[in-house]
Amino acid sequence: MPEINISNSAGRDAVVNMETVHSPQRVRWLDAQGRQANNIRVLKSTIDRDLDALLEQQGELSNVGQALIDGDPEVDLETVGHFLQNTSRVFIDKQRKIVHKVQQFEIVRNPDGSERERRPREMTMQNVSGDIPLLWTGRLIDKERACRKFVFSTKLQLMHINGLTYDFLYAMAKQLHEKNSMMLLGGGPKSNQPLVLRRGGTPYRGFLEGRIDGDRYCLLLHLSNLELKTPDESDATSQGQDES
Amino acid sequence: MFVSRRGTVRRPQIESKINRTHRMAKPLIFEFKGAQIPLQMSKVDRAKLYGFKDLEILDEEGDKCELATLAEDGRTVVGKGGTGIGYLTADGNWCDKTVLTPVDLEGRAMTPVASSFSAPIELDRRATLDELLDHSMRLVYRMDFEEGGGDQLMDELKSGAIFRFDYSFRGGLEPDTGFLLTNELDEVFLLIGTPSNIEMIGHQQPRFTAEMDEDASEDELMDFGMI
Repeated sequence: MPEINISNSAGRDAVVNMETVHSPQRVRWLDAQGRQANNIRVLKSTIDRDLDALLEQQGELSNVGQALIDGDPEVDLETVGHFLQNTSRVFIDKQRKIVHKVQQFEIVRNPDGSERERRPREMTMQNVSGDIPLLWTGRLIDKERACRKFVFSTKLQLMHINGLTYDFLYAMAKQLHEKNSMMLLGGGPKSNQPLVLRRGGTPYRGFLEGRIDGDRYCLLLHLSNLELKTPDESDATSQGQDES
Repeated sequence: MFVSRRGTVRRPQIESKINRTHRMAKPLIFEFKGAQIPLQMSKVDRAKLYGFKDLEILDEEGDKCELATLAEDGRTVVGKGGTGIGYLTADGNWCDKTVLTPVDLEGRAMTPVASSFSAPIELDRRATLDELLDHSMRLVYRMDFEEGGGDQLMDELKSGAIFRFDYSFRGGLEPDTGFLLTNELDEVFLLIGTPSNIEMIGHQQPRFTAEMDEDASEDELMDFGMI
């Protein structure tokens, strides 16, 4: 379970748990006997028998087509249909060989696709459970305003790990609940850096929301990397209803 | 022609681009207080707001590399499109998905829902801020009214109402939740999200208290011999 090092309004800090609140899979598939079926990832074709490989062997597409009619050059009976588990991501070169030493570059582009900057890839480091706690910034934003200004794409729930941290988190939730506000949470000594949950992960702006009901509480860390606004420059080709 | 609710904020050039695209897309139709209101959708994402990053991977010679999958055996390399998803029965036998029945987590049969574009969506459920915050949003659309329609709905949205409804782009078993609301500039947006598994938590740890034996003498309590 991931952890977060966070401080309260009095400047006291504690390491507590964070739990993902993503909804579990809501659909199960049953066979004719009412038993649950499971999905599995299978191998369809290997890189030495895909279209590029066959094209290299046969010279042109018409020859590839004839080869497919005459036989099954795309099928390797030893591998096709294997279940794929514990796979790794690798980089391959033009010759479809695994590359062991690569250089990674980030090309930063403007909304219209034009290149803004080209630089070696910077691996973001996580900053929520380090030595420096996430500070209580006191920068509050009304819940209503936050909902109409930011898009919260993911969230985590902060959980106590013992009696002391229960009191600690409950008091924070109560404070935010009574103010009906969310608190901007940032990383680094000035609390101005975006939050990164894991190495190389997506940076987000964090908003802490608290709710209480009797002696129960709910302290949520809402994460956002998008504002609720219309793009200034719209590209007609990228508009539409694409659901991706 | 579609009319922006932003007033003078949107520039004419951008408006014409959006309008040109909107003519091609099918609108989402809402039913509100007896009237059918078509709204045109345009997707909003980070790339359109802030730009985007491309990752370029080069080998030692400076040639571009591609991402591939290495199987567990450490030698089988699978390229893009080289994998598929299959279904296995409880016995481990291959089965076709068409013979399987979808059920929910309680085992009840699930009925597929139609696409939200197939019929008007009735806006009869209002959402609270907490309901909105209980969802993780995965898609955002800017919604534009057609000229001369939807004034009542717009007034309601401007007054702070948030409407929620089941939304499915293509139709399917699990509809998402759609939230229709305005931003600070009174532009209308549709947020598509999935509910999160949030719960109120209490201090459920048992209370540990010292059980004192009131009859025990001080000598017994201070018996250093038993240490």
